[in-house]
Amino acid sequence: MAKKYGVAFAALALFVVGCGGGGSGTTGSGAAETSGGSGSISISGSSTVEPISARVAQAFDAANGTATTVEGPGTGDGFAKFCAGETDISDASRSIKDSEAEDCTAAGVEYVELHIATDGITVMTNPSNEAVSCLTFGDLYALTGPESEGFGTWSAADGLAAEVGGTGGFPDADLYVVGPGEESGTYDTYVELVIEALAEERGAETASRADYEASTNDNVIVQGVEQNPTSLAWVGFAFYEENRDKVRAIAIDDGESGCVDPTNDTIASFEYPLSRPLFIYVNTSDLSGQTQDFVDYYLSDEGIAFVSEAGYVQLPAAELEETRAAWEAAKG
Amino acid sequence: MVISTTSSDMIRARLTGKRMSLANTLIAAALLLTLLSSIVILITLLADTLAKAIPVFESRGMSFVTSSLAPQAERAGILQGIMGSLALMGFVVVIAFPLGVAAAVYLEEYAPDTRMTRLVNANIRNLAGVPSIVYGILGLFLFVKVINGTFGFAEQISGRNLVAGGLTLAVLVLPIMIITTAEALRAVPQALREASMGVGATKWETIRHHVLPVAMPAILTGSVLTVARAFGETAPLLLAGAALSQYFATDQGAGFFDLIGNQSYTALPLVIYNFARQPDTEFVQLTAASIVVLLVMLLSVNALAIIARDRFERAS
Repeated sequence: MAKKYGVAFAALALFVVGCGGGGSGTTGSGAAETSGGSGSISISGSSTVEPISARVAQAFDAANGTATTVEGPGTGDGFAKFCAGETDISDASRSIKDSEAEDCTAAGVEYVELHIATDGITVMTNPSNEAVSCLTFGDLYALTGPESEGFGTWSAADGLAAEVGGTGGFPDADLYVVGPGEESGTYDTYVELVIEALAEERGAETASRADYEASTNDNVIVQGVEQNPTSLAWVGFAFYEENRDKVRAIAIDDGESGCVDPTNDTIASFEYPLSRPLFIYVNTSDLSGQTQDFVDYYLSDEGIAFVSEAGYVQLPAAELEETRAAWEAAKG
Repeated sequence: MVISTTSSDMIRARLTGKRMSLANTLIAAALLLTLLSSIVILITLLADTLAKAIPVFESRGMSFVTSSLAPQAERAGILQGIMGSLALMGFVVVIAFPLGVAAAVYLEEYAPDTRMTRLVNANIRNLAGVPSIVYGILGLFLFVKVINGTFGFAEQISGRNLVAGGLTLAVLVLPIMIITTAEALRAVPQALREASMGVGATKWETIRHHVLPVAMPAILTGSVLTVARAFGETAPLLLAGAALSQYFATDQGAGFFDLIGNQSYTALPLVIYNFARQPDTEFVQLTAASIVVLLVMLLSVNALAIIARDRFERAS
């Protein structure tokens, strides 16, 4: 009888052994040096900025033996954790909202905003949709704004486009709109840059149309465009860059400088109308030596070079100096 | 089985003068078709995944399995996910298995058949059907906020640690563990208990020496399959604080309690989810390769269940 129990627990013990292995295995997975001490840096926030921060953290840990965690649940979720004091640094693809800033103040979290890179929200369509090559803000409002709800074809938006000063003249083809979900900073920035002004003028809701296909996974957005010949979508520049062969970017006209394609140069100079700054927010009220070293490294020439490796556009020298000055002032 | 059906078919054929029933044949064909269609879907999925995964194993070999997460596709590995998943399974085995078996023994062997017992039984059945995300919310509140907050473990990542994740998964599978064990106990013939009691054994001696050993193959099979289910859970871990991350490192100087209390962790299903949302298209292949690793691990768990059951059946 005892023998039977022995086998019983031997079978399950295999898992427990695996568990023990888990403990020691994770220890071995970090960098080589062991000076790390007990502190670790915790970073959360925008999934757009995550690839930059992850690369910086990887290089920083390898050199210093620290243990940094980088997550990317979204800008809004990141600020919720940041203002609760759970993270040291928050990645953001938009500026902090007033309501979020109030939460931070209420929790006694002070912070500094550091502009580290620039992204261009890329509006794109399927390569076979040749009828559309440039859109104005009015066009985008007519196609994706709150009043476009129910438009099933591009041409259905013609009337509204004419009303809001767009070019219109859209093809009579199915309109399939895909974009990031509402928790995303990319969504917020798109609404702010493209829709807000016109929506307020017309007394409409400051949001996109509710009947678009939302996805937290940017690859799903790219796939949606790839599979629908007359689709319309917006994503971060890095996702467009990786998928140039599958999708086509639409030039944007803000009514002043004509049609501008998203490229490294037009985004860096903010000439491309949908350029947006990317930030990291650093908690300065509880600033550990480690976090300070980390941000120093982030803003160094070596650290900031990871911006282009991650597919984003580096700041011009003057703006980078501004960011460094802001950081020097904040760490006091 | 095979012999008996064949012979009954033969008898039926003799009796009906070897004529075949048309309706019978049609139904059999339709049923076979449904079986085939589900197999075809499964094979398509597996073939597609394997086709994408093979290049990764060809070019990276085992280094894909033994390296840590990284934002670069050519360096990223899934070791942290595998280790995190195994550690979580350790929690499930250590907590849910003894609790589940003990609760089932009480419910089946000791509890009087009152309205209260029936209510508890019905509730356990309902709990087994509750979506796992709901357990995630429970875990977030109970294990991340209240317990860790109160006892002050994990100052650094505020309770989002392996303990919280492990407890959440253990609670998630507990009802299933109780139900499978209870089924196993119910399948033990009543005569066995009566015989044992008849020769003067106490109730506990009967359970300990006769009921549990007979039921053990079924209990083990059920438990291992339950653990396998916990292995694939994603949603509750997201809430209980597993890192959905491109990169994290674990502190070198950390001891065992630091590792489970103060460090970030992740699990294999979360690694797969995270790979799937990366901009770099090479991550598509990594996603497929991680799925293959997850499948291999799950199949090994199931194989373990079958081996364990066979050993027991031979022994008893």
